[in-house]
Formats: sequence, C-alpha cells, structure tokens
Amino acid sequence: MSSLLLLNGSPRGERSNSMKMLSRVAEGWEYGGGSQPEILHLARRPQFQRAVMAFPAVDAVLIGMPLYTDAMPGLVKSFIEALAPRVEAAHSGETNPRLAFLVQSGFPEAAHSRLLERYLEKLARRLGSPYAGTIVRGAGEALQFMPDEANRKLWSRLRTLGEQLARDGRFGPAELKAVAGIERLSPFTAVLASWICKLPVIQYPWNGNLKKNHAWEQRFAAPYGPAFKG
Amino acid sequence: MHFTILNGEPDPGSAFDSYVAELTARLTALGHPAEKFDLRTIDLKGCSGCFNCWLKSPGECCKRDGSAIVCHAVLASGFVLLASPLIMGFTSALLKRAADQMIPIVHPYFEIQGGEVHHRARYAHYPLFGLLLAAGADSDAEDIAITTAIWRRTARNLKSRLAFTAVAGCAAKEVADELALVA
Repeated sequence: MSSLLLLNGSPRGERSNSMKMLSRVAEGWEYGGGSQPEILHLARRPQFQRAVMAFPAVDAVLIGMPLYTDAMPGLVKSFIEALAPRVEAAHSGETNPRLAFLVQSGFPEAAHSRLLERYLEKLARRLGSPYAGTIVRGAGEALQFMPDEANRKLWSRLRTLGEQLARDGRFGPAELKAVAGIERLSPFTAVLASWICKLPVIQYPWNGNLKKNHAWEQRFAAPYGPAFKG
Repeated sequence: MHFTILNGEPDPGSAFDSYVAELTARLTALGHPAEKFDLRTIDLKGCSGCFNCWLKSPGECCKRDGSAIVCHAVLASGFVLLASPLIMGFTSALLKRAADQMIPIVHPYFEIQGGEVHHRARYAHYPLFGLLLAAGADSDAEDIAITTAIWRRTARNLKSRLAFTAVAGCAAKEVADELALVA
C-alpha cells in the first residue's frame, strides 16, 4: 500500500475550503488502494515541522492551498523553502516523493491559478519528484456557505482524482479539466458579468457579512489615502 | 517620484542586501526619495484568510501588526520596488507574506477587468510596481519568467501594473538610472 502525506497549506487550517476539497481526494485515495493518509495543517507550527520531517519518508505528498495574491500563501512558500535540503539530497541520488497539488481560488475562473500551477510543476522537477498534477478549482470561497449536498458532483470528481492518484500515480487530465470548471470568461460572458457585478445580489455574501459585523457604513473606508469614487 | 522598496531578503549579510541598500541611496541621490523597508525586521504575522480587513474593519488588518506600516508606505509612494532573492524558484516567503497582507488595500467587491473577475479598487491612486530579483545558484530563465509573470498578475490585482523588472547583476547605479527613467 502506498503512503500519502496530505498537507493543508491554508492559513485557515481545519475549517478551510482547501481542507474540504483535500478530504474528498483523500477518500478517493483510500478507495483506490492507498493507505490512510497522514493529514497535517501547515498553519499549526508543530505540524509544519512534522511535515518537513515526514516529507522524504512517504511515497506521495499532496499539498493543497488557496490562491493568495496570485500565488501560494506565504505559509506554503515557507514550507517550500524548508524543503531546500531535499534538492541537495536529490542531487546526491536520494529520492523524493511523488508530488501532487490542489489550488483553489475565490475567483470563478481557473485561469487565475495557472501560473501557480506552472511554478508547482517546476518545483516537482527541482526536487526530482515525479509530478502527479495539480487540481485547480475556482469559486472555492462558495464552499463556505453552500450546503455540502449542492457540491455532490465536485466531491465525486475529487474522489475520482484521489483514486487515480492511488492507482495510476497521477491525476487524469479529463477529470482535472472537469473539476477546473470555467477556465476563462468568454468575451460575451465578460460583458454580461460586468453588468451583473453591479447588481447588489452578486455582492450579497460580502454585504451580508458587513451588515452582520456592523461595518456596512465603513465598507468603503480608505484609511491610508483618498478613496476610490467608483 | 517617491520610491518604496520592500526588501524581501531574509539574510542581512548578503551581497543582495548591500545591493538594495546602495540602490536606495542612488535613487535618493538622483532626486527620487527612496525609503527601504527590510521586511525581516517588521512584525508580519501573515494573512490568516479571516477577511476581517474586508468585512469587520474595512481597509485594515485586524492583526494590528507591521502590515499597516507596509500598506501605508505602498499607498503613499509613486513606485514600489519589490526586491527579493529567488529561493526555490520564487521570491522569498518574507515578501510573499507582505504581499498577502496587502489585500486590505483593495475592496472585496468584484468587477470585470481585462475580461477577468478581479476585486474593485479601494483607493483613488495606486503606485506602479517593479520587481528586482537576485538569481540563486539553482535559478534559471524559467524561474525568472514564472516569477515575473506571477508578480505581473499580482500588480494587476493591486489595481496597478508591473512597470519594471530586473535581475541584480549589473551595477546598482544602472538599475537606479533605469528606475529613474521609468519614474
């Protein structure tokens, strides 16, 4: 049975959208014949250190993260920097585990995450690790307020990807494409969306929370300079 | 034009750290006041994804750490130079942590920009951004290309653009001259 180290790189830890998605991939991994994965949250310092130690000893590592300002969160970059000795180890003939990734972002389009995917693929090469692929998914923040039943299709696809990782050692391209959803807005959709963005209902998740937090009146606050008058 | 230099070099004794210090002095000598922030000396707790800076205390991180100093400096300048060595093929975790904590300077509301969904501006003016990298022993052209492309997107998401990129190698004076031309 192959071993899997599952690393949650979300600063939100256990309650994150990344973890919701990772746990479905882990279910598929076990269904596909892999052993029960060890799950570590990088946001918890002792678990971060354990992750660095455990990295070379497993068959595969799956690192999940939210997209933060178009790349990995600083937390995940710190972890990647802690793996620098493994580059040297690979040059000395040691093997590093197979690497798989999951990137989810709050934007609806997968295109926002593609440059990070390129970086992660290069990271696997740098470490001399076989690259199993990157699951990219947009609209991840919606998982916070959508009921689980509304995402049955997504959960099922993530389980399939986990199975593929266990059985084939990599994610299948067709399933990756299906999970990614909207890659880019078409020119027509972009024009339509620019109008839709002006409707209060689209900003409802933000507005609802601003009101709940008694921050509605301050929503356009600009403490460091002149405010945008849009 | 006022320059803010965010120095993401974690090692205070490195050649790149001295290079960034010299660049700062040369920009000022050219008549462009430049202020350097050594991020390793600033208390940056890192973004925890709580969104309180959008939904509880709009425009301000609830952690009350050094990120307020960084955000204020960014918005008060005409040009922000992001300086970092390439570590494992990308800019340092130090610089990334600072960038993560810049999200209070934009608004959570969505808008369409260049055919993509982005966040709306919070401020009337944003600085131009530039990127100064120091290649590591294991860096290659692909690392530089990926890193530059990612920061180009980040600058766009921060309602601006990446107006300058350079890899430290030539004299700091030459980089300062080029930056002065962009400014």
